[in-house]
Amino acid sequence: MSAALQSPFAAGIAALARDDPAAAVPLLRAALASGEGGAYAELNLGMALTALAQFHAAEPHLRHALLALPELPEPGMRLGVIAAMRGDSTEARACYEAVLRRHPQHVPALAGLAALAEKAGALDQAAALLARARAAEPDEPELDFAAARLAFAAEDAALAATLAEAVLHRRPLHVAAAQLLARALLRCHPEAAALALLDRHAAAAPLAPAWALAQGFACAELGQLEPAIAAFQLADTLAPDNPDILGEFGRLLAQQDRPDEALDALLPALAARPANLDFRNLAATLMWRRHRYAEMVAMLQAGIAEFGPHPTLNLNLALVLNAQGRQQEALDAADAAIAQAPGNIAALVNRIAVLPYHETQGTAAVLAAAAADIAAALPVATPLPAAPRKPKPRLRLGLLSGGFGIHPVGWLTLAGLEALPEDRFELTAYSLKPRRDALNARFRARAARWHEVSERDDATLAALIRADEIDILIDMGGYGDTGRPFVLTHRPAAVQLKWVGSQFCTSGLPGVDYMLTDRWETPAGFEPHYSERLLRLPDGYVCYLPPSYAPAVSPLPALRNGHVTFGCFNNLAKLTPTVLRLWARLLRDLPDARLVIRTHALSDPGTLALTRDRFAAAGLPLDRMDLHGGCPHTEMLAGYNAIDIALDPFPYTGGLTVCEALYMGVPVVTLAGDSFAGRHALSHLSNVGLPDWVATDAAGYLAGAHAAAADLPALAAVRATLRQRTLASPLCDAPRFGANLGSALEAAWAAA
Amino acid sequence: MSGQTQGAQQVVTERLMAKAHLLLESRRPAEALPLLDRLHHLAEVPAPAREARAIALLAMGRFGDAIGAAGEALDALPGSAALLQIRGRAHLAMGHDIEALDDAAAAVMADSASNDAKGLMAEALMKVGKPDEAIFLAWRVAQALPDDMQAHLRLAQAFIMAGRHVAAEELLAMLEARAPRLGQPVALRAQNKLLMNDAAEAERMTRAALDRGLAEASVHSILAHALVAQSRLPEAGVHFRAAARLAPHDAYLAHLASASEGGTPERASDAYVASVFDGYAGRFEAELLSLGYRVPGLIRLAVERWLAETGQSAIPGPVLDLGCGTGLVGVALLGLTEAGLCGVDISRNMITQTRAKGIYTELHQAEFSAALASIETRFALVAAADLFCYFGDLTEPLQAAAARLADAGVMMFSVELAPEASGWHLGDSGRYRHSLAYVNSALRDAGLSAVSIAPEPLRQNAGDWVGGLFVIARRLVC
Repeated sequence: MSAALQSPFAAGIAALARDDPAAAVPLLRAALASGEGGAYAELNLGMALTALAQFHAAEPHLRHALLALPELPEPGMRLGVIAAMRGDSTEARACYEAVLRRHPQHVPALAGLAALAEKAGALDQAAALLARARAAEPDEPELDFAAARLAFAAEDAALAATLAEAVLHRRPLHVAAAQLLARALLRCHPEAAALALLDRHAAAAPLAPAWALAQGFACAELGQLEPAIAAFQLADTLAPDNPDILGEFGRLLAQQDRPDEALDALLPALAARPANLDFRNLAATLMWRRHRYAEMVAMLQAGIAEFGPHPTLNLNLALVLNAQGRQQEALDAADAAIAQAPGNIAALVNRIAVLPYHETQGTAAVLAAAAADIAAALPVATPLPAAPRKPKPRLRLGLLSGGFGIHPVGWLTLAGLEALPEDRFELTAYSLKPRRDALNARFRARAARWHEVSERDDATLAALIRADEIDILIDMGGYGDTGRPFVLTHRPAAVQLKWVGSQFCTSGLPGVDYMLTDRWETPAGFEPHYSERLLRLPDGYVCYLPPSYAPAVSPLPALRNGHVTFGCFNNLAKLTPTVLRLWARLLRDLPDARLVIRTHALSDPGTLALTRDRFAAAGLPLDRMDLHGGCPHTEMLAGYNAIDIALDPFPYTGGLTVCEALYMGVPVVTLAGDSFAGRHALSHLSNVGLPDWVATDAAGYLAGAHAAAADLPALAAVRATLRQRTLASPLCDAPRFGANLGSALEAAWAAA
Repeated sequence: MSGQTQGAQQVVTERLMAKAHLLLESRRPAEALPLLDRLHHLAEVPAPAREARAIALLAMGRFGDAIGAAGEALDALPGSAALLQIRGRAHLAMGHDIEALDDAAAAVMADSASNDAKGLMAEALMKVGKPDEAIFLAWRVAQALPDDMQAHLRLAQAFIMAGRHVAAEELLAMLEARAPRLGQPVALRAQNKLLMNDAAEAERMTRAALDRGLAEASVHSILAHALVAQSRLPEAGVHFRAAARLAPHDAYLAHLASASEGGTPERASDAYVASVFDGYAGRFEAELLSLGYRVPGLIRLAVERWLAETGQSAIPGPVLDLGCGTGLVGVALLGLTEAGLCGVDISRNMITQTRAKGIYTELHQAEFSAALASIETRFALVAAADLFCYFGDLTEPLQAAAARLADAGVMMFSVELAPEASGWHLGDSGRYRHSLAYVNSALRDAGLSAVSIAPEPLRQNAGDWVGGLFVIARRLVC
């Protein structure tokens, strides 16, 4: 019968039968409204909503069905599934047991209970439950799969492999069985033999997706990302549009830094499997990388609404809210994650990552307390035995970072590292993110050894560093995106220090001996805010490498425009309500002045709209503002040719952004705080001889901006020489920086 | 198989093929290959799948497999210009220059309009030492593809090989201006300047490129060579090391980087020596002669004395020339090798040059010890001119050479002279040097006794004579 001729209830049931719950929902709602189907309409609507991960909406229908149809196991079973999805094992168990009291042989309830027992580590209990289920339904492959899982957990890999393989013969698209088969084979055979077994299966059935899946999982287990992706590419071609394959494929593509393709795979997977929390978090992090912030917020908030305040959802939510400039909401989300999982290291790191942007909480003292919280929660790592001090012709420096390339770490450290004398320092790079760009080539050219280590855990990475006999390990990742500061707690090197790379406050970690800094970032008296000793370089703590492709500096735009144009090219996370209100006042005071904001987050339409609202609410005149999204670096630098004066945000001040503005001839008005992040601009401006552009309070900031805007000839004069001045200053003097850095490192080594 | 099953298989096969093509177009051959492998396992392999598989293997650098796959595809589709090109390119990458030239020529014959085929043939012609013919083809391709950088770079390379440095400079200057963010044109241009003996200009060009952010192995390497040419070895070391780090699989750069740091591997790698001489073969003789290279002459002189002492008119048995290069020792011994002259060299381009002379009765392109293990002849004379500068420890090479001497046979070889206390060491130039005491002890360990060891200047380097030892030795009689 065609759908058009079916009743809404029948059509809804048919939609559910063809695994299309989204189509079923309106039909079943219509049926319910018209009284058709009665409690069965409630039940099926609840089931359809559950499949769409709309748990809150599903629950009332399932509960009505439970009351109305007490003889049916399905409503209770579904409520149990929802509880299990939310991680509420107690509630799930209660639901399943209730079902079993009326239907002692109900196979899904038995399997559900077995899964809960397995999760709790009660393998015997799980096996007994599965045996009951199998007695009731001996031919169900899912029970074989559950048994395979149990065998694997009980370390009987051979049995697990046999059972998983049997499942795959009957269900060639059983992705989880393929994964288990791969793991089990690798457990009971040498690598090559395990792969050869799968190759034989594949050769015998070349068009069966199961073996491609197992090959893909096996390669992924072995850390062979490229062949793993190739195998999934094959599986996806053999069985297109399978959500489980797409989801796993997306996960691998994300690992290989192919975010667009990963999203292309993951979004349909998530649409078909909305209850898969893993897919949701992964898709969210990919949206983060593509600056699709508004969609990411919606996806995470929907997840929290249905699954509850899951810590990972909240962690990701905190990051994206911060990126949109919603610092308070971000901190609330970060705190919610900690409340949900007290002592969770990821949640504590997440909090310290958003904290320095907050207008009242981003202080050195608060950050030091947050760092101390991390250190206190950290399991005690067994430090490697003290390394013998062998005489070597050169000091061995280990650099640990995901930023060896076109990245702030690259622009702010490369020139200085290149200038370290080769006859005194041998460099080894521990790269936490594979990169291939012009700056990365220069890092590679300077480093005697290069290790890509993102796949290693902290302990094995520390062991590698120790095996390389590194004398001084420099952490250049910190609590940032790819950072791995906890490696230092294993004490792989005799001297360990923190330098550029999310260097916004103390690490708080016991393994970090020094913070590489300068007298502006951390003047005398700042020691209490740092667990590290402060290793102050005589000039600045960084050495800026200007890009060779930077356009020439233009004459002062105000002279041709007839009005002053302020600009800020920092990210939105730094634009706090206080900053916005201060800028609003400045623009009120200077009614002809304009303000240009340029940052990649504004490429996201949702974030742009939100930002416009925030700006308007702060009193900023949108008609005198230009909001630009991301653009290529050369174009971004050229954008300074339309700016007269750069306005720095606070408390998290500009770092690389300040260097770029100065190199493009644009002086920067800043307000120095007391955190490391709050004093970047102070350090850079002091090093180029413009300390008078640094304010210590909001009034001074306003006054500085006013004064600069009022004297265009003076501003034009500064602009005319600022590039040369910057180049000649310690900020860009690589030989001088290299000599200073070398001496500081040797002093630290001598003192160890 | 039922019709329905066949139909379903057909759909999947087409999907695999379409996806594989898409992946190849997106330059993801490693991802295309498993799809093509699956098609390859089917009872009836679709013809396009065979070709696509060969393409994927070639793009992945699996040249031997690509040759096999292209050959298999050619069996099904004989004379296919595309397949001939794939196989030819794989042959070229593996150093099978003659086979590459054959396939390239056949591809051009099969599709005379194909610029790719002509380009391949030009590259093969360069490899077999025919740069003038290469220029003709490379020029035609560059004319047809005015925006193709690789086509123009190929033409420039052919100009350089043919010694037409001015034409190369003109072309490369244009290419560098066209693509200032590309390393290849500037590296090749600077190399051309080096060959024109303008090391200072080569240095200026490469330093400017580094300042522009072109941190490429080729740029560092040419800069290092330019500095070596100006006798600024410590400065060169920094750039040899940078080049080696950027091209970690390049044995040539690894050896020079190691030498610049005072590293002491026991011998230069085969890949290094082959690479040096493959690149050098075309101008080897002219350069050595211009540098006053004396070792072949020293061998001739020693042989004449030996023959005079024994009253013979020719060497009393076959001669083995180890590291024969372009055959200069053979030339020096003309008229004295009546019982045969066997040459061994690791560089195929050197062997090609030697073969062209028609002096040697037997030639082996192989690593020195592998060749000696495969040769059963006992020789009246084993000569090794300028060979042992690629070995640190001489014991094993001398033992292997001594094993091939006839009972009354003579060995003649040169080494670069190290200070007496140093035994042997790797010099900045990438060549090993040996002290007199060390040579004496190595001879003893190898079962040889010195007939004479004479200090001799070997050749000039940057205007100075390189000091060496010329050694004549016989097997110890037990």
